[in-house]
Amino acid sequence: MAYDPRRTNSGTSTPQPPPPPPPPPETSTQADMASAAQALETSNPANTATDSYKLKFCTVCASNNNRSMEAHLQLSGAPTAFPVISFGTGSLVRLPGPSITQPNVYSFNTTSYNQMYEELSSKDERLYRSNGILNMLDRNRQLKWGPERFQDWVPGVPRVDHLSKGDKGAIGTEGGVVDVIITCEERCWDAVVDDLMNKGTSLNYPVHVFNVDIKDNHEEALTGGKAILDLANRLNEAAVAEHRVHGSEGWENGTGPARQSFDEKVPEILADWQERYPNLPALWTLAWL
Amino acid sequence: MAQPMDNVVDQIAQLNAARSLVLGDAAFYPQIVNGILPIVGASTRLELRRWGANFLAETFASPMLGVAQKEQLAPNVLQTIREILELPETDTAVLQSLVQTSASLYPLVFRHVVNHPQDSKSWETMSAIKQDILRRMDSFPCPVKLCCAKFIQRVVQVQTPGLISDPRRPEQNETSLAVVPRNHAVLSIPNLEAESSGLLDRLLGVFQEETSDPLLVNATLNCLAPLIRTRQSIANKIINAVLEFYPAKHVRPPFTPTVRVSVKSMERTARALLINILKKNPNHPLMGRMQVYIERLMQSRLEVTDDASRKRGLPNEPTDGLDNAKRARLNALPPPMLKIPPMAPGPASFDRLFTLTEDTGLSSFDVKQLPIDLVLKIVVPLLSQVQDSTLAQAVDAVRNRYQTITKDQNLQRQQQQRAAAQEEDDDYEPEYQPMDVASVVSEEASAVAAEVADLQPELVSLGPFVLPQPPPLTEEEAGEIGRSAVARVFGMLNAAETSPAPAKGQSQQKLGFARLAGSTFDRDAWSVLLARLATRAPAGLEIDQQAKGDAVRRQTTIADSIRETLYRFILEDFRGRLNIAIIWLNEEWYNDRIQMKSAANQRDGTEEDSEPTVPLNYDTWATRLLDGFLAYLDSRDIKVLVRFLSEVPEITIPITQRVASLAKDPERVNLCVQSLMYLVMFRPPAREMCLNTVEDVYQTYEESRPAAGKVLTKWRPQSTVLEPAASEAPESSETKPVASEP
Repeated sequence: MAYDPRRTNSGTSTPQPPPPPPPPPETSTQADMASAAQALETSNPANTATDSYKLKFCTVCASNNNRSMEAHLQLSGAPTAFPVISFGTGSLVRLPGPSITQPNVYSFNTTSYNQMYEELSSKDERLYRSNGILNMLDRNRQLKWGPERFQDWVPGVPRVDHLSKGDKGAIGTEGGVVDVIITCEERCWDAVVDDLMNKGTSLNYPVHVFNVDIKDNHEEALTGGKAILDLANRLNEAAVAEHRVHGSEGWENGTGPARQSFDEKVPEILADWQERYPNLPALWTLAWL
Repeated sequence: MAQPMDNVVDQIAQLNAARSLVLGDAAFYPQIVNGILPIVGASTRLELRRWGANFLAETFASPMLGVAQKEQLAPNVLQTIREILELPETDTAVLQSLVQTSASLYPLVFRHVVNHPQDSKSWETMSAIKQDILRRMDSFPCPVKLCCAKFIQRVVQVQTPGLISDPRRPEQNETSLAVVPRNHAVLSIPNLEAESSGLLDRLLGVFQEETSDPLLVNATLNCLAPLIRTRQSIANKIINAVLEFYPAKHVRPPFTPTVRVSVKSMERTARALLINILKKNPNHPLMGRMQVYIERLMQSRLEVTDDASRKRGLPNEPTDGLDNAKRARLNALPPPMLKIPPMAPGPASFDRLFTLTEDTGLSSFDVKQLPIDLVLKIVVPLLSQVQDSTLAQAVDAVRNRYQTITKDQNLQRQQQQRAAAQEEDDDYEPEYQPMDVASVVSEEASAVAAEVADLQPELVSLGPFVLPQPPPLTEEEAGEIGRSAVARVFGMLNAAETSPAPAKGQSQQKLGFARLAGSTFDRDAWSVLLARLATRAPAGLEIDQQAKGDAVRRQTTIADSIRETLYRFILEDFRGRLNIAIIWLNEEWYNDRIQMKSAANQRDGTEEDSEPTVPLNYDTWATRLLDGFLAYLDSRDIKVLVRFLSEVPEITIPITQRVASLAKDPERVNLCVQSLMYLVMFRPPAREMCLNTVEDVYQTYEESRPAAGKVLTKWRPQSTVLEPAASEAPESSETKPVASEP
C-alpha cells in the first residue's frame, strides 16, 4: 500500500463520511454500510430464484486493504449484490506508517482488520485518522474479518465459514470458486496468472482474469472501484443473457451476436469498457482454477 | 417437461440445501451424489440438468473429497454423463460442466483401471465420453470448446509418462502413463501414448491457426504450465510451439479495440507462461530463446498498438483522386516555429543568453534548487521527446545571440583599447589562464569569456583556484608509488599479450621504420615504455645516489626494480618474450651511450676533477639474461640463441664466454659452435672475438672438434690450434655430421 501521507484530506473522499470512530464499532453501522447491507438483504430472496444468475467475483490488490477492498465493497454493495471475495498478492500486509521507511507490517490470514484498527488508533490516532487509514480499516472490518493472501487460497475449498461470519459478498461464493478475478495492478495480475499456473489448474474451471490499473490512493481506489463495478455489471449482463438465450427461451431463437456466448463477448466488453475508462489501463486473460 | 414451475423451484431449493450440507461436511458427498443422480439425469428438466452438471463438476474438482471416494463414485456418474451427452445435450452450461467433470474424472478413472484391470466397463464408458467430446469439440459453442481444450490437456497429462517419485509406493505416484504396467489387460501403453501425442498436436494447433481465437489461445496457454513442469518428454515440444507463436501475426485488420485487447492478452499470457517456466528452471536449455521471444513480444506489442492508433487517424479514401495518405505521412508536419524573444535587456549573462522563454515565472526559477538526480530524471526523457527541428531552432537562436554579443563586445574592447591606449594592461590574463581548463574552448570564446569577466566581475567572479600543495613524499613512499605504477604497466603488458599475434605482426610490418615506440598499444609498445622507464627516466639520478653513499644505495632504485621485474618477466617465458629482452637491451645500450656522451661533454665543459661516472647497465643485464636462460636452452633452441646474439646491440667477451660454456654439455656443443659460427659470418665486428672463442672451445672440449674445426679451417685457416687436430678432423666429421642439425 502506497498511501501518500501528505494528502491529508484524502480520508474525506473515501466512500463513508468520517465521523469519529464509535468506541464499540459493531453497534453503529455507517450510512453506506447500512445501505449496502440493506441492498444485500433485499437481494437475498432474488438470489434463491432460479433465473438470477450471477457471476462470482474476486478482487485482488497488493495488501487486500485499499483497492481490492473498495472494489469488494462496490461489488457486494451493488443492487445486484455480487458474490465476491478478495485477496492480496504481497508477501505481507503493508500500511503506511509515520514515515516512508517505517510502514506498519502485518501478516496475511492471521491479522484481522479490527486488530489493525485498534493497534493503529492506539499508536497515533490523529495521524492515521488524517491519512485515512483508520477510515479504511473501519470500512474493511465491516466487510470481512481480515486480509487474505491470494497465493494461500486453495480454490474449491468451501468458504461456508465466511458466510456464517457474515462476510459481505460471501453469499454465492460458498463453493470456493469464482468466474472472474479482477486485479488492481499489473504486478498483481502477473502474480495471479503465475500463481494459477503454479496451482496446477486442477479444478478444470475457467476463470477470466482482468487487471484494472488503479493507483494506490483513496480517490483512485474509489474511482477504480466504481469502474470495476461497471465492468462487472457489463460482464454479468452478458452472462445472464447467455443463460437466458440458451435456457428456456431456446437456443434456436437467438441469432447472430445474441447467440454469442458470454466468454466470446469478454474481449469486446473489455474493449468497450476501456474506451469509457481510458485512464484505467486494462488487461485480461482466460486462466484455470 | 410437464413438471410445474414451482415444483422445480422447490426441487432446486432442496438441492441447494443438500449442497450446503456437503460443503459443510465432505463426508456426505457419496450419499448426496448417489441421491441426486436420478433427479438430475438425462431425461429431467434443463434447470435440474444444469444444477446437476454444475454440482458434479464441483464435486469432482473439490479438494475436500478424497481421491478414493471420488473413485468409488465415478462409475455411476460416468454412466449418467454418458447418457446426458448422448441425449444429445445442447445446453452450453450443462455441456460446459459435464466436460469439466469429465476432465476431473479422467485421471481418476485411469488410475482406477490401472489398479483394477477387470473393470473394463468403466474404461469403456470413459473412452466413449472422451470420443464423444473430442468428436464434437469443433462444433461445440465457445465456452464448451474451452473446457474441451482443458479436457485434452488433462488426457495428455495422464497419457504421457511422468516422474515415478517412489517405485516402492505406487499409490504415492502421480497418475500418468508411467504407472501403467506393461502387460495391462485393458490399457495398451503404445496406443495411449500415440493418442496423447495426437491430442497434444491438436491442443497446440491453436497456435498455428491463421486467425487466432484469443479465448482458446489464452485458455491453452494457461493450462500448459503443468504439462511443461511435470512432463519432461513433451516440454520442449510445447515450448517450441509457443515460441513460434506471435499473436500480432495471427490477427487481421481492421485493428478494432477488441482485436487490440485480444492481441495484448495473448501476448501477456504467453509471456506469463514463459516467465513461469523460467522462474521454475532458470537454467532451462531454451532460456535464451525464451528471453528473446519475451523481448520481441514487448516490442511487437508497441508496434501494433502504435500502428493501429496511427492508422485510425488517416482518412480512408483519397480526397483529391490521388492517394495522398502516404504523402501526408512522408511529409512530416512542419515543426512549429519557435518564438524567440529578443534577449533580455541588461548586462549579458549566461542565463540571459540561454533564456528563450518570456515567462517571467519560468525564467526566474532557480533550477539549482532541484536535486541533481531529479533534474536528470526530467531532462533525459524530455530531450528524447524534443523535436530535432525545435532543438535546432533553439540552438540557432542562442548562437545568434552569442555572436551578436561577441561582436558588440569586441567592438567595445577595441574602443576601450583605443581609449585606454598603452596603460591598459591585460592583468586578468595570467589569472584567467589556469581556469580555462578545457583547451577545446576556442580562443575567441575564452577571449569573450574573459571579456565578460572583465565587464561583469560580479557575474563571473570565480578567482583562480589553486590546489593546496600535497605533503612532500618521503623517498620510501615515492619508491613505493613508483613500483606500484610499474606493476600496473606490467599488468598492461600481460593484458596486451592476449591480443591476437597475427594482427600485431601485420601492423609492425606495415609500419617498419616509421614505427614510433609506443604508438600502438600492443605488447611491444608497453615493453618499450617499460624499458625506457627503467633506463631513461632515472638517468642521472643514480649518479647522485651513488655519490650519497651506501645508506641510500641499500635500497634498490626504482630503475633497478623495474629491471629486476623485467628480467624476471622475460625469464618466465624467454622463448616468447625474447623480443622484449632485445628491445630492453637495445634501450640499455643506447642509454649507456647517451650517458657516456653527456658525461664526456660535462667533463669537457667543466674541466673539473669531479669526473662524473656513468653506471653502465648493458653489460650487467645482458650477461645476467644470458645466464638466466642459457641453462634452459636445449639442443634445438638454436634459433632462439642466434636471434638473441644477433640482435643484441653489442657482443662482449663475457657474452662469448658464456656461449662457449655451452660446449660443456655434449648435447649442446653444436648449439654453441653454430651460434658462434653465425656471429663469425654475419657480425663482422665481433668476428675476431668469436673466432678466439671458437679456438678456445676447440681446445677445451673434445666433442666440439669436428664442428669447430670446420669453422676454423674456413675462417682462420692459419690458426695455431688447428694443426695437431687437422688429421683427426675428417674422420670425426664423418661420424658426426653437423649440417643435419635443423
